[in-house]
Amino acid sequence: MASRSMHSSRWDAVLWAYVITFFVVLYGPLLILVAFSFNDAEVVALPFRGFTLKWYWAIFAMPELVSSLVNSFVLGAIAGAIATALALGLALGFRRDFRLKPLLLRLILVPIIVPGIIGGVVLLLFFGYFGMPFGLYTTVLIAHINWTLPFAFLTLYPRLHRFDRSIEEAAMDLGARPFTVFRRIVLPMIKPALYATFLFSFTLSFDEFIRTIFVLGGERTVPVHVWSLVIGEIAPFLPAVGVVIMVISVSASLIGLLVSAQGDRVAAQS
Amino acid sequence: MLARSPSTMPMTKDRWRPSIIWLTLPAAVWLVLFALAPLAFMIVMSTWTSNIFGTTATWTFDNYRRFAEEPLYVSVLFTTVRVALICTVVSLVVSYPLAWFLAERKGRAKAIFLILVFLPFWTSYLIRTFVWLPILGRTGIINDVLLRAGIIERPLEWLLYNEGTIYFGLVYVYTLFMTLPIYVSLDRLDRSLIAAAADLGATPVRIFWRIVLPLSLPGVVSGCVMVFLLSAGAFVTPQLLGGPSAIMFGNLIASQFLANNNWAFGAALSVILIGVVMMFVFVAGRRIGLQRIFVGEGR
Repeated sequence: MASRSMHSSRWDAVLWAYVITFFVVLYGPLLILVAFSFNDAEVVALPFRGFTLKWYWAIFAMPELVSSLVNSFVLGAIAGAIATALALGLALGFRRDFRLKPLLLRLILVPIIVPGIIGGVVLLLFFGYFGMPFGLYTTVLIAHINWTLPFAFLTLYPRLHRFDRSIEEAAMDLGARPFTVFRRIVLPMIKPALYATFLFSFTLSFDEFIRTIFVLGGERTVPVHVWSLVIGEIAPFLPAVGVVIMVISVSASLIGLLVSAQGDRVAAQS
Repeated sequence: MLARSPSTMPMTKDRWRPSIIWLTLPAAVWLVLFALAPLAFMIVMSTWTSNIFGTTATWTFDNYRRFAEEPLYVSVLFTTVRVALICTVVSLVVSYPLAWFLAERKGRAKAIFLILVFLPFWTSYLIRTFVWLPILGRTGIINDVLLRAGIIERPLEWLLYNEGTIYFGLVYVYTLFMTLPIYVSLDRLDRSLIAAAADLGATPVRIFWRIVLPLSLPGVVSGCVMVFLLSAGAFVTPQLLGGPSAIMFGNLIASQFLANNNWAFGAALSVILIGVVMMFVFVAGRRIGLQRIFVGEGR
């Protein structure tokens, strides 16, 4: 192979050793968290005193924690759906050139460029001063859509951009209305990308903390609840809570990755 | 590149014009209303005055003067920039070999390795941060193992709650934002260039400095901007792993809202942080173009 001549097998061995070390550091702590979640001990520390599921059962015995989980789940679904819909409009519009396109792109990037903590602070000042009621489905939802919209656009746009437009143009020339073209030609092609975008946005919203904490109303999201638990003494059930949250976000993003990979394959075949 | 799109017949283009407006308008209105307007309002409020009765609209630079005259605040800003820069460099060194490794894989192995790298970064950074407490803490795993093995007699205190732990924690949660763009640019690198250089007798080191690195520079710049941005605005990591002595600008800002209730001063501090971050982004952006930093190199 072309690049093979550049590095000898010795360099390959060093690279593999490095990559393995990287993965150990990356996954080690998470596996330790999983192990602690099953540890039958009152403190989050060694030694392991036996296997138990009691910390998982303990989660269900804490109504505040359960309701924060439900809140984050519902909020993630709503924020993900709205962000995906807004991003779809943007991505469809961005397939053509128009005068304000460069300016609009900058506008889309604003929530990414502004540091997260300030993304929360600006909404606190704005809504606080103008008397918007703070709550899960008002201020927190807005903060989450702000945060997820740029990523939804950046996920969706490249996938929409690479489709061959000649089919659509042919349909238009034959007199099909734009909405019919969208429903019959564009939508079936981008469906996997839409599902993936929704799932990624859901995960981003589900795990969002720094913007949320500033615009919170009476009800908490799960990262905010976890924060209140972490800043004190680390409770023995905390690893189990961490594992539950990880399982939810990992499954959502893994399904998203698989769906979008499948969509890419379909696109490559057509 | 985003700006490039195939030329279309004028007739088709005209038919699309109204639909572009209707398609992009909802998101544009959203962003102006909820991203741009609050930001502008914060800049205005940074010139107001807050006291125990609330915040009143005046026109004063007192908040900025207060920042400049208090050595503590200025030193926290310098610490924050230093931490963000060091984290950026460390992430770059950590990520580059990994990105090269990923770009060299093929087929199914590539897909699996990519997913393995991505997955942890799609989980809550709050959890990926606090997970280090029972590992590095006084009664944590590392101390426990070392004590049992008889290597140390007393628990190591320096594992947690210092600036070093912040570097470690930030690189751990944010390094993917460096790996990903570098991987993308290395993946697109034309391998025949390397082969040609090697055939002409260039050493691997020379090939790296003259071909691989320059061609992956857009990815490197993009990754550096992302990691710098994220680290400069850090709040969770210094709060959990840094201990009371190692505060960063994000903690200073948060305390104006969560503890001191001094909104106008908090707004001024936020404007200062955005100013510093923007300077960095635009210096980098002038080199490779703003949209390439965030949108990637397009196709």
